[in-house]
Amino acid sequence: MGNVTLPDIRLSDFTLQTLPRLAALRTRNLQAGAEVCIERARLITRYLRDLADADEPMELRYARAVGYYLANKTPLFPDDNLLAGTTTAKYFGAPVYPELTGLTIWPELDTMSSREKNPQRLSRQDADILNFEVFPYWLDRNILETTRARHGNPACMKLFERIVFFLASKAGTISHTVPCYRLALEQGTEAIIAEARRQEALCATATDEESRQKQTFYQAVQLALAGVNHYAANLSQEATRLANETADPGRRRFFEELAAISAQVPARPARTFREAVNALWLLQVAIHAESINMAISPGRLDQLLYPYYRRDIDRGTLTVEEALDLLGCLWLKLNDNTNLVPETAEELFGGAGTVPAVTLGGIDADGEDAVNDLTYLMLRVTELLKTRDPSLNARYHYDKNSETYRQRVAEVIATTKAVPAFYNDLVAIRTLENQGIATEDARDYAIIGCVELAAAGRSYDASSSIMLNLVSALELALYNGKRPVTGDEQIGPRTGDATAFRSFEEFWHAFTSQLGWLIGQAVELNEMMGKSHQERLPTPLLSALFEGPMEKGRDLIFGGARYNSSGATHIGFADTVDSLNAIEQGVFLDRKCTMAQLMQTLQHDFAGAEALHAYLVNRTPKYGTDAPIARKNARNLTAFLFDTYQAHVNYRGGRYRPAYWTMTNHAGQGRLSGALPNGRKANRVFASGITPVSQAATDLAACLNAVAELDALHLPGGVAFNLKYNAIANAEDLRTFGQAIEAYFRQGGLHIQCNIMSYETLLDAKAHPEKYPDLLVRVSGYSAYFKSLNEAMKEEIITRTAYSLTTGQSEPFPAAAQNMLPFRG
Amino acid sequence: MTDNHILQAAMQRFLKSIESETAEEFLELLLHLMQLVFAFDHGYRKNIEGFNASYCFRSRDKGITVSVAFADGEMEVREEEAASPNITVNFMDGRALMGFLLTPKPDILGSMLRQEVQLDGNLNYLYKFAFMAKRLQLMAMGQA
Repeated sequence: MGNVTLPDIRLSDFTLQTLPRLAALRTRNLQAGAEVCIERARLITRYLRDLADADEPMELRYARAVGYYLANKTPLFPDDNLLAGTTTAKYFGAPVYPELTGLTIWPELDTMSSREKNPQRLSRQDADILNFEVFPYWLDRNILETTRARHGNPACMKLFERIVFFLASKAGTISHTVPCYRLALEQGTEAIIAEARRQEALCATATDEESRQKQTFYQAVQLALAGVNHYAANLSQEATRLANETADPGRRRFFEELAAISAQVPARPARTFREAVNALWLLQVAIHAESINMAISPGRLDQLLYPYYRRDIDRGTLTVEEALDLLGCLWLKLNDNTNLVPETAEELFGGAGTVPAVTLGGIDADGEDAVNDLTYLMLRVTELLKTRDPSLNARYHYDKNSETYRQRVAEVIATTKAVPAFYNDLVAIRTLENQGIATEDARDYAIIGCVELAAAGRSYDASSSIMLNLVSALELALYNGKRPVTGDEQIGPRTGDATAFRSFEEFWHAFTSQLGWLIGQAVELNEMMGKSHQERLPTPLLSALFEGPMEKGRDLIFGGARYNSSGATHIGFADTVDSLNAIEQGVFLDRKCTMAQLMQTLQHDFAGAEALHAYLVNRTPKYGTDAPIARKNARNLTAFLFDTYQAHVNYRGGRYRPAYWTMTNHAGQGRLSGALPNGRKANRVFASGITPVSQAATDLAACLNAVAELDALHLPGGVAFNLKYNAIANAEDLRTFGQAIEAYFRQGGLHIQCNIMSYETLLDAKAHPEKYPDLLVRVSGYSAYFKSLNEAMKEEIITRTAYSLTTGQSEPFPAAAQNMLPFRG
Repeated sequence: MTDNHILQAAMQRFLKSIESETAEEFLELLLHLMQLVFAFDHGYRKNIEGFNASYCFRSRDKGITVSVAFADGEMEVREEEAASPNITVNFMDGRALMGFLLTPKPDILGSMLRQEVQLDGNLNYLYKFAFMAKRLQLMAMGQA
């Protein structure tokens, strides 16, 4: 067993009643409305427009801009949180990144405060600053438009802007990574600055281009990190001022402690658990000065913070209660910001948090059990707070971790109804090793954002680079390079009139031709945007908190990390597989219809073809069952995608990794797609992640086996397998639940995440959101408050197959809600 | 008529167009009102100070082709193709364009998704134009 000394791993003596600070902070956090924060946008823009030296390399200019922002960032203490530092100048802020997609809210500056879905407040004064001062500077300078200008509005960009084929995420984000905080905590950022200074001096005498570039990089690191230290010093100064202002001795002590902590970290080494937690938080805040707040994931916090915790506990200077209080404060701080989202995107894709993933448990670099007391403290904090972020992930190695640990994680899932997600260490490590990651680094993997695998602090994975709609390739194959949603326009290559196909193999060839072409388009655009990031948005601050860049003298964006990759995730996997199955079985084996009849039926959304529709829904093989055709098509599709992506090398020298998580895009993209051969009707949601289509897989064991048997080596970007149980009612259910997860892992399953809630509960929550203000659900990789999801996404979660742990079969879907099902309506 | 009367009348016609079912004259009225408000309202004119850009609006049936140029704080509208616009907006009809820019909320992404509007060029220029149009609508409604 790992380092577990707690007498009660459930920590059941600690509740929100015994932790009143957390209770109060949680209440305020849940009640807080989002506000747009323009501080970063204003300061970064001001620096680049008015103060920067246009002759300097962009790496230095941007580092100075980041440093300028951090040095002038408002030092704010908005509540009783024990940690100093805030992501924005608002209590719950949505920062603006005009260099990425910030300008998409321009049309809504006057209306976003009052919109119906998830409004984000913006004062008229701040709107004017954005309109007159900030946005005009970026008209021709953000990533999308610099890429367009450089490449003459290329065809791949026009395809992306149709939105229904693939999303090129680099226009809005790279982020999506797990930094290495260990060195900064152990030695302080001053030590990293000193090392950068030393390295810069070593390069100073050389005159070659490579040495000059290294010199620039090391200068940029110093400039950016100096900004972090400046911000911490400002916090210390402000806390001192507040301490001096108050007559309350308790408040004075509170601020004096914050002043002392932010005077020490992150500049100098963390000496205590509290300083380590605060240092980590300040570095997390600082990274967001440079990189957008999307899935910057703190990583294996139970491993990183454990030495500080153990030392303080052993010294008697920290109690378990105090540690829980601090961890709870960190959890709530991770919830202090949200994404800036325009209204249509909110309607189509909304509800996500910023998805900073925290990873617990698993094994250590030596392959031994890594579970420790902090693992259990973090599980307890998660259980008590039930907040949207951090996205919590539990690693499990069934040969090394204890059953006690497995069952405790299962219990927290049962309590929270949604978190954490479970990962299979054996499979995840093997999958990373297959990507060239050294074993000791693979063993230290952590989760990025939703479900993506990273060698923590060592691999720069840009894991959200491409989101490709598989159904679009299917429709392009059906309609000879066209899609119903884009009308008569020839989009893809002409792969033949599908009505003339004489075998499934012919259709498969057309489908993979379209898919390969789409992937080529998406990769081409990602490469173009990657180059734009290299030119305009270097990341010296993030690079300083990584293994590789400091040694190589190269920014992450230029391939400085030890390992590199780009992630491409896929939308509509199960619907595509089931549609392939339906074509193979229905058209070419059973001959229930011709391709022409099938396509005519699809074009009429099955109107007047009820018998054929019923056959397609009920009689064709479904992914998630043991049907051989379904298993073969799922296997072939993942293999095709793996081979195709791995053949591409990105601008940083890494390979593309296919993944299967969809956030809420399966709902948004589903609303834009026509009827499908699997019986799904037009404009209905797709299934999420790598999850079988709702209500298609009725037998739990078969479903688990079908997902587990997909070769995990072909899924290196990660998968989101969403499983719903109607209830975990008693100890026996809980034991069965844990055993089912273990059985799934032993079959080869990589990931699983669960919602523990019945159809009836979810239907009631949809009808009466006021009764469920903090109902947490697992979407497709991340957690969300059910109330904040759009209607399509709510229906998707409601209709997901709910299994009974007692019978191992799906529960009957309520008759009154049948119209929500994707093959009804 | 005083300047204010002219402005008020234009705003009323514009609002009526938004409320109407056909919205055929939407673009014409929007651009006309924009020109008037730029002339009379210093605060609104600030939007185009130092702003140099050109737009092309084209209906799918080619019945409407309008170019709009902003230069030196002035706005010029011509019924012809722009030489090299920052962005070209191809729209299905007046109602689609209205939904795209204004009502009931700016729905640029939604209109693109529904293929009612297609864009060619720098989207940021469109975002700015949509902001100015929305502000105009709110001004006409007495809400800005």
